[in-house]
Amino acid sequence: MSRLILSMAMSLDGFITGPGDDQDNPAGDGGMRLMEWLDLENAAKVGDFRPSDEPSQIVFDEGMATGAVLTGRRTGDFAGYWGGDHHGGVPIFVPTHKAPEDNPHELVHYVTDGIESCVEQAKAAAGGRDVLLHGAYTARECLKAGLLDVIDIQLMPVLIGQGRLLFDGLDPKHIELDLVRTLEGPGVLHLRYEVRR
Amino acid sequence: MAAPIRLYMSMSVDGYIAGPDDREGQELGRDGGRVFNWLDDRNGPGINGQVYREAMDTGALISGRRTFELAQRWHGDHHNGVPIFVLTHRFDDDDVPPGTARFCTDVVEAATAAREAAGDRAVMVHGAGAAQALLQAGQLDELEIHLVPVLLGAGRRLFGDRDRNHIELELVRRLEGRDVTHLRYRVKR
Repeated sequence: MSRLILSMAMSLDGFITGPGDDQDNPAGDGGMRLMEWLDLENAAKVGDFRPSDEPSQIVFDEGMATGAVLTGRRTGDFAGYWGGDHHGGVPIFVPTHKAPEDNPHELVHYVTDGIESCVEQAKAAAGGRDVLLHGAYTARECLKAGLLDVIDIQLMPVLIGQGRLLFDGLDPKHIELDLVRTLEGPGVLHLRYEVRR
Repeated sequence: MAAPIRLYMSMSVDGYIAGPDDREGQELGRDGGRVFNWLDDRNGPGINGQVYREAMDTGALISGRRTFELAQRWHGDHHNGVPIFVLTHRFDDDDVPPGTARFCTDVVEAATAAREAAGDRAVMVHGAGAAQALLQAGQLDELEIHLVPVLLGAGRRLFGDRDRNHIELELVRRLEGRDVTHLRYRVKR
């Protein structure tokens, strides 16, 4: 069955970007430090970022094997929707209040009738494969709505001090997780949690 | 290398070390005790017992004032009568802390005194405030984070906003206990 998997690189102090992230500086100041588990040399499209160590390759390849992408509007806009194709020509679903009038990307689908419907559509389109989730705000919406199945954190050994937190603005209600896998690569710890429901 | 100054803190995956509204009478915040469940195994033979025993084998303690007061000053003895150095901005000369505790207003002095007191044993650090002050002063050597698989959603964060200088770490040990992952990081300098 298709699962919704959040995959994010996070500093030990909980940040996913440096401070001052915007359209021209999507990672924020110094935020590219968190992407260093990927191969950033000569990377033009997402598939080029494949890391060179085996533990990180496992995690990266899983992402590339997903059957659909669900991304927050902000993350998608900042990333230019990855040129219209995140990986392998799979559809990209974007929950939003108002779809833009002009959508040049054939694979990008804006969903305006709620996060639940968006997840449902993404799972249906994934053809039995998992759905890859990007974006902190959308992740929180999915958590609150009980829609998130798996949290993959690439825990980076650095304190970056300021920026955008991955987990912020959740309800003060405990969400229990189960650690189901740990992979240690050079300079990164991959933690996979299943969300208990 | 001399024995390290090492932070010991239990933290949820979303970065909290206590639930919301931590105060006297509710020291761990609302439902904040969740991140300490692994300590139920503290006297057991497993990983959690090992990590607990290592912590109790430290030779001195550095604490923040807030943690110290919330903990009722540990009645003057945190563990085995080791000296307790309490970081504070100011204190009243008439306020003599109990037992082995003493107030310190200078972070580097406190760190130096704690290292000396601990000898060849590690120094334990407790509390978010003390951790930040020591980090800022370049005196924190290691972080032992007991990472607990839960999202608390609210509470007191271990790492608040700092300046934007990155502090690089190196993961030097990882132990899987029941209901917790013990991650030991060394602060790179």
